[in-house]
Amino acid sequence: MTMATPAKTMTAPHVEWGRVRSSRRTADRMMKIIATSFTLIAIVVLFWILGMLIVKGLGGLSASTFTQITPGPGTEGGGLANAIVGSIVLTFLGIAVATPIGVLAGTYLAEYGKASKLADLIRFINDILLSAPSILIGLFVYVILVEPFRGYSGWAGGVALGIIAIPVIVRTTEDMLRLVPGSLREAGAALGAPPSVVITSVTWRAAKSGMVTGVLLALARIAGETAPLIFTALNNNFWFSPNLIGGVSNLPVTIYQFASAPYENWQQLAWAGSLIITVSILVLSIIARRIVRGGK
Amino acid sequence: MSAVTDQFAVPSAPVRKTPMGTFDLVFRNASLLAALFVLVLLAGIMVSMVVGGWPAFREFGLGFITSSVWDTQNEQYGAWPAIVGTLSTALIALVVGVPLSLGIAVFLTQLAPPWFKQPVSTAIELLAAVPSIIYGMWGLFVFAPLFAAYVQIPLSSLVEGMPIVGTILYSRSPSGLGILSAGIILAFMIIPFIASITRDMLDQIPSVLRESAYGIGATTWEVVRHVLVPQAGVSIIGAIMLGLGRALGETMAVTFVVGNANRLSASVMDPGSTIASRIANEFNEALGLQLNALIALGCILFFVTFVVLVIARLLVARVKRY
Amino acid sequence: MLSTLELSPQTLDAEAPVRIAVKNLDFYYGEHKALKNINLDFRDRHVTALIGPSGCGKSTLLRIFNRIYSLYPEQKATGEILLDGRNIISNNVDVNELRSRIGMVFQKPTPFPMSIYDNVAFGIRLYEKPPKSELDDRVEGALRRAALWDEVKDKLKSSGMGLSGGQQQRLCIARTIAQKPEVILFDEPTSALDPISTGKIEDLLEQLKSDFTIVIVTHNMQQAARISQYTAFMYLGEVIEFDATNTIFMNPHKKQTQDYVTGRFG
Repeated sequence: MTMATPAKTMTAPHVEWGRVRSSRRTADRMMKIIATSFTLIAIVVLFWILGMLIVKGLGGLSASTFTQITPGPGTEGGGLANAIVGSIVLTFLGIAVATPIGVLAGTYLAEYGKASKLADLIRFINDILLSAPSILIGLFVYVILVEPFRGYSGWAGGVALGIIAIPVIVRTTEDMLRLVPGSLREAGAALGAPPSVVITSVTWRAAKSGMVTGVLLALARIAGETAPLIFTALNNNFWFSPNLIGGVSNLPVTIYQFASAPYENWQQLAWAGSLIITVSILVLSIIARRIVRGGK
Repeated sequence: MSAVTDQFAVPSAPVRKTPMGTFDLVFRNASLLAALFVLVLLAGIMVSMVVGGWPAFREFGLGFITSSVWDTQNEQYGAWPAIVGTLSTALIALVVGVPLSLGIAVFLTQLAPPWFKQPVSTAIELLAAVPSIIYGMWGLFVFAPLFAAYVQIPLSSLVEGMPIVGTILYSRSPSGLGILSAGIILAFMIIPFIASITRDMLDQIPSVLRESAYGIGATTWEVVRHVLVPQAGVSIIGAIMLGLGRALGETMAVTFVVGNANRLSASVMDPGSTIASRIANEFNEALGLQLNALIALGCILFFVTFVVLVIARLLVARVKRY
Repeated sequence: MLSTLELSPQTLDAEAPVRIAVKNLDFYYGEHKALKNINLDFRDRHVTALIGPSGCGKSTLLRIFNRIYSLYPEQKATGEILLDGRNIISNNVDVNELRSRIGMVFQKPTPFPMSIYDNVAFGIRLYEKPPKSELDDRVEGALRRAALWDEVKDKLKSSGMGLSGGQQQRLCIARTIAQKPEVILFDEPTSALDPISTGKIEDLLEQLKSDFTIVIVTHNMQQAARISQYTAFMYLGEVIEFDATNTIFMNPHKKQTQDYVTGRFG
């Protein structure tokens, strides 16, 4: 280095302060304002939607909402009893279809398949299904269950919802099982337990709360699904038959049909139904989140 | 010593092992079958769309995609207006939603004080939990009237007669419903997905990189723009593609606000339709060839979203949650 | 133990002006007081080493000088740090500009996701808008001073992430000196590197002190002894002893210091 010997008296800075160009400060400040206000916009929209539901939904909510069935065209009053029960039945049917398949598939990926090519492919396809448009799943179930059997049914609706729920459960089950430390499995295996026993009585138990979360998230995901039900469970204004053959009334499709109808009681019921369904789903989501965070 | 071992182990081992071994095999195969079922599902959807839509494809050939006629009386079906509607609403959703999402992700990871980050994150994620149909209600009853009164009507009188913008932004019937409204509602629906994946990506960047970028005197904006975003790189594009996949296939919200017109209009303010909204609207009354044409629409939607989602997943690799 | 230390050959210049003066500095992580009443002077164009067992607060202290701690709202400092007489922990200092004057090299190499050239030019462009030819010269000069030029001159446009760990660290040093800072902070710059890369970085530090005031945190006492003129020994958030490096290592006044430098604890 050809540097002169340091000047001993140098105490002043090399360059005066104030070198930050104002354009840089402005750009930084603009970005902060924009990012903050964008966040604000999204939050406002969320609370706007919730506020709208509360304002319009509470007005339509009464005891008869839960006791009377959906009114026919031009009929006074009415409630949502059949739609609420129908929705619960369809949703749980969906979960009943999806849980065993989803949990087993997730278990395969985490415990057996691991990094194999097949497991990677299944993971990839599962991720695609996770974001696949639900209307296509409705069409699919129509083609395989409604058309061949010549009629809408609650079973078809439940299967459609189940297909939507499966990828959610597969994904969370696998993620949660992967969080279980390998030493726990080794301890189980060291007792001479075969893999299946280690999985069912050690690994599953250790990951239980996470797996429950997956099912809750799937529940929240399918409870409000509308599009796949239009072609499968349909909807009507009666109590559905216990064998679930024929149309099964449900909240989302009721809301869809009532919302823009010319009857005021229909519109009110649509708002009440919207409030019920949204509150249930948000509560489910928040509970699921709590479990995840508590489990960490 | 060996006598003891023999006495204990040998006689009891076969008795214990047999039922265990069977269960082990059954369990393993059951889980493999369940996992393979995921593949079967996707293949099943693909096959059912192609088979169900085949009569329409056979009848109209390539014309099914390029034709703009949708005439149930004369059994003439063309998908073009629905395809254009789907692509334009999704594009608008990205144009509106991506900046919002990135802004939110930057706010959450760089600007929000720690105590504020969690509740805001949850609020953003809850936007994803709100059912599609509720967005539709909000869009139809709250957003559309306001949009008509404060955007469509003033804007129409402003741009009337102007070249190009006078066509694109002019609303013939300012009802608040149309392609642009649907795109904006869609934007809010895809924000939680893009924002939360981007947030996770930015959070995963080691803090020492962020500190060293600040360490040479960069402002927050410069750190984000030149270091953090390039570092997160293609995974942000993947997140955007994932949002695009959602926007393309979203049904109920769009059905409420898109206006459900079967014709093609040059103005984004005019009613239109998307593939999904067309299916939702007509499916239950459809018979014969119309039914096949609707499933053929579904088939097109399937392949478009499939390609988008494959690209998205390849770019994001494997993100937390969905 | 002491005899194995290879002490810094340079004699220190006791009359060199004080570049950074720390006065009554306290530092808090939330409620926890991490630094207690620190008073230190850092002399112009000298290397000052901060040593002490892990958790003693040496890195914490270093991170105050360029206000990196300000990125974390729960951390706060009270007291004074005077850079050329200006209190840099007061609110009316532009932290961005401060950081361009007090550069920092981190424990792990942190190339930015851009080309080697842009990594070095990035910091310059933030504060100056030199014409292309001058910028090229500045980048080349910085890379030469960081002893990296010969290794990268043919691939300036390729990504900085493709370099080896030692090269990346020298790139980070080039990036820092390109900004012509007054002070450079090194936070255990060689702890993630192999011995050969470490040797190169130490040679570099030796040369850099002719132009820059250097503060280095290190857990490696030999390193401190080799490269610094002044050493501060810290323990439990306090400065136990601060003196010329030779004194600290050969003839410390405090028993704790002696125990530490002779390897009896820490």
